Amino acid sequence: MKESIPDTLKLSAADKEEQYVHQVYNKIASHFSDTRFKPWPVIERYLRGLPSGSIGTDIGCGNGKYLGVRTGDVFIIGTDRSESLVDICSQRQFECMVSDGLDLPYRADAFDFSISIAVIHHFSSSERRAKAVSEILRVVRSGGTVLIFAWALEQNGRRKFDLSNQDVLVPWVVPGFRTHKGETLDNNDQKQVAVDKVFHRYYHLFREGELPALLQQVGGCEIIESGYDKDNWYVIARKF
Amino acid sequence: MRLITHNMLKCHVKNCTDPDKQFPLRFKDVQLEQIEADRNDEFLVRMLPRIDWAALLKTAKELNIELPDKVPESPADDGEFLSTLHTVILETHVKDGSMVCDGCGHEYKITNGIPNMLLAEHEI
Ligand SMILES: [Zn+2]
Repeated sequence: MKESIPDTLKLSAADKEEQYVHQVYNKIASHFSDTRFKPWPVIERYLRGLPSGSIGTDIGCGNGKYLGVRTGDVFIIGTDRSESLVDICSQRQFECMVSDGLDLPYRADAFDFSISIAVIHHFSSSERRAKAVSEILRVVRSGGTVLIFAWALEQNGRRKFDLSNQDVLVPWVVPGFRTHKGETLDNNDQKQVAVDKVFHRYYHLFREGELPALLQQVGGCEIIESGYDKDNWYVIARKF
Repeated sequence: MRLITHNMLKCHVKNCTDPDKQFPLRFKDVQLEQIEADRNDEFLVRMLPRIDWAALLKTAKELNIELPDKVPESPADDGEFLSTLHTVILETHVKDGSMVCDGCGHEYKITNGIPNMLLAEHEI
């Protein structure tokens, strides 16, 4: 099964995210990281436009793809819920920590900017997505900016989704994942064979307009840019 | 973890709300390491308003690191100050140990330079 499937799981929001987001990222971390190296243009432009001396945070930083874009004159602290991904950031000498996006460990108004790239779609209720956005804004000073990306429902690239269903389980295929197979192959005593392994991650796919509306609902900021890029809806907002 | 990062951290346990005790977190049994980094004076001068100086001073004292009591009036012209600042906040790394909240007693562990800021269910 390599197609997305509708989310009909009878689980609490926290349990769903634990099983279909956190545990999956810990398992696929190294393969995920190998596929994530090229910065997306809108994000690179945003980071390159920050004044020298800015301090910020990347919430849900993954393998640290954006942590090194401005090494030396902009300081970025990465946080991620996945210990395996934070380990990868640390090995790359990036500043990072393990933390939950619903409840950031930073003082209010600490940073000049915050980015959160393809993260808030993993929260499985509208209340939790609003809480994540309010945390992203809370840690930024008045006048500071935030950049948020979330997967679009209306993707027109290699992934296509049923427009009537925003909550889905999306497969991640790890080629040749090492696993034990109970049978012996011809002339081969080796029981460990490489087969493709499929993991499913929970996504709430954002409709056009939903992301700016979410920021307006949370409040305390003005949207200065919004659009579509790389299969995601994105917004840049300034905190009042 | 560098000391600049520690200056941003605050205890976030649900019922821990005394602002004087949640921040800064107190280091306990920490192992420090100095790792050289290129110094960028423009970066240092511009980021200075983001640093909570009183908190940094308190933390530095706990670690027996010398820092001036006050930020000089024109830091851009004070090479010695900038050099000290650079060494303290960007080159001083905490390798292992923990950070304790004086408000609620929560201990945040640091392992291989990585703080774990996750809370238990009942603390959220
Ligand atoms: Zn506390």
